Amino acid sequence: MTDPVLVVDGLSVTYTVGAGTFSAVSDVSLEIEPGKVVGIVGETGCGKSTLAQAIPRLLPEPPASIGSGSIRFKGTDLVKVGRRQLPMVRGTGIGMIFQEPLNSLNPAYRVFDQVAESIRIRHYREMGWVRSFHGGPEPFDYSRPPNTTTVAGSLTKSILPSGAAEEAVRDRLQTRSQFREEVLSYLRLVRINDPETILNLYPHELSGGMRQRIMIAMALSEKPALLIADEPTSALDVTIQAQVLTLMKELIDEVHASILFISHDLGVVAETADEIGVMYAGRIVEFGPVADVFRDPRHPYTKALLRAAPSQYKADGPLSSIPGSVPNLSRLPRGCPFRPRCPLARDRCATAVPPLAPVDPAAPADGRHIHRTACYFPEEVPGLP
Amino acid sequence: MGRDPSDLVLFVGKRLLQLIPVLFGVIILTFVCTHLKLVGLCNAVYPHASKEIIDACNAKYGAPLLSQFVTYLTSLFQGNWGTSPLGVPVYPAIAADLPATIELVLAALVLMIVIGIPLGVVAAQYSGRWADHFVRIFYLSGWATPTYLGAVIAAVFLGPAIGLPSGGEYSTPVPPFPQYTHMSVVDALIAGNFPYTIDALEHLVLPATVLAFINMGIATRMTRASMLEVLPLDYVRSARMKGLSEFFVMYKHALRNALITTTTVLGVTAGGLLAGTVVVEEVFDWPGIGQYAYDAIGGGGSTANFDGAIAVVIVFAIGVVIANLIADILYGVLDPRVDWR
Repeated sequence: MTDPVLVVDGLSVTYTVGAGTFSAVSDVSLEIEPGKVVGIVGETGCGKSTLAQAIPRLLPEPPASIGSGSIRFKGTDLVKVGRRQLPMVRGTGIGMIFQEPLNSLNPAYRVFDQVAESIRIRHYREMGWVRSFHGGPEPFDYSRPPNTTTVAGSLTKSILPSGAAEEAVRDRLQTRSQFREEVLSYLRLVRINDPETILNLYPHELSGGMRQRIMIAMALSEKPALLIADEPTSALDVTIQAQVLTLMKELIDEVHASILFISHDLGVVAETADEIGVMYAGRIVEFGPVADVFRDPRHPYTKALLRAAPSQYKADGPLSSIPGSVPNLSRLPRGCPFRPRCPLARDRCATAVPPLAPVDPAAPADGRHIHRTACYFPEEVPGLP
Repeated sequence: MGRDPSDLVLFVGKRLLQLIPVLFGVIILTFVCTHLKLVGLCNAVYPHASKEIIDACNAKYGAPLLSQFVTYLTSLFQGNWGTSPLGVPVYPAIAADLPATIELVLAALVLMIVIGIPLGVVAAQYSGRWADHFVRIFYLSGWATPTYLGAVIAAVFLGPAIGLPSGGEYSTPVPPFPQYTHMSVVDALIAGNFPYTIDALEHLVLPATVLAFINMGIATRMTRASMLEVLPLDYVRSARMKGLSEFFVMYKHALRNALITTTTVLGVTAGGLLAGTVVVEEVFDWPGIGQYAYDAIGGGGSTANFDGAIAVVIVFAIGVVIANLIADILYGVLDPRVDWR
């Protein structure tokens, strides 16, 4: 079995605002195996984005601070990495697609310059001109059958030569037009029509969907070992959302990268992810293979979320909603954070936060990739409406 | 989409047209201020002058103010900038002195940019920390220093203390090469005279530093403020996430956008820089238009030269307008979202 790309263990992120502190992420553990897609779902305000940005240490510190836990990326604990070393991890190590594409591109530079900058960062690291954190970036595992005819399949040949040494020589000899061609190839990868025109435009001349495609192209062009997609579609128009989501799904299929996919859209996660974690109030309350979690949810919150999701899971009648709202993270209820909204709540729930334990009592208690839930009464959940 | 270069030509043309009313206003204001009380005061203004000069003065300034103004404007339009009371024409003197002032102001501007702007970046980067406070103390002390005091302290104490010359353009009165541009460093470079280039630079450092130190605050402060606006934006986070080092995040991505505001403010400081040359050039014996202005208003016991004073004000006004025009053009260059209109 291969080593996981990312192991997050007991991670807590606290914010200090004024005199008060609150935990946006509490005791989150997860593991991402190479080539696997892990989805994180939850309502707005449950700590998904904080988790996403805490992994590459992108949160402004202060006000945020990592209270406890570790983030082991390919064996290195990012919590202990110094500020100056962090840029070496980002980009080629961990890439990220953000939630708000409108302001994510620098308004002062043309599209070409911004994509080219990403590619150049990777080239310099591949060639060893600039120190990178773990001895050069690891390319995506483009491990598809060789007879593939997808876009990425044909791209693999041009952008992924066999050896690093060979690539170094090639890059040094690369002419301007070849470099331009490489930039164009990434724009084509994200299905941009007429990339030659787009290259010379400024971000303000592009639509939101187009900007997000360019953000995706920039992230992919660094060939990160781990890609974090933080709700890449939530800020877009509904029609554009659908387009970008389709693109994301296709790319996830083609690229075979390790991906942490964060979304509040259960349908998207169901279609793309291998494993899913459900977050509530900064904690993962249920985790497991997508099929298990969706077919047989064992946390009342997951059950309620699935019930509230439109269309795919419910064809008739009004949509249901979860009573109450996400609790204020600075004033969490004692015990299980879902207790005030939970139909199963009883005295025991107020005693302590239920641990994330395997649903199957026979399974090993420390199993990472089995269906687990943080509920004291998982066997009663299937009986809920 | 995109911007037409012809828009820029139109923009510059319009701004240059705006120069006309500005100059007219400046001329009226200066003319009235200098001539209002002159009638009959020639004896007092030129106490040691010969009778011819006093008579000429009375003849010139005895007429009604309006007719004096018309006479002056007419001759100005004919290219005659007037003469000093001693009969020295104003225009050749100004033309000869202007390059030295341009050199000094540009040197001060360069110092403001290469020192003042990075200081603003550092202050924003470490806002609220000791580096921020240190930078604030630095630029506020510059801001609070009266020009004459700063210039005198630099010339009398600082210069000798650190071994820098504090007077003139070169160590010898006349350099051994032709002065094509009348800019000390440029002329030495054209002549290929390396020792004199160094010598000229050494003479330039102190007056330029004084000018820059006094006017730098606004550049630093604006850079800090607009950096603080830019730093929390998403694209700065994107740049960080690309794997760029903090240096590139700050100076390539954040500062590039923060500069848009700073540039406008730098245009405004042109007035301060030019005004500062009057005292700084006099103290450092820099043969520029500032020193000419100082003499023209009768500073240092020289003979008051009203035509000269008006000419200096006109030149300064043109300088300020052009500096702001350049700043506005740069604004458009730096921010691709701006239309030249």
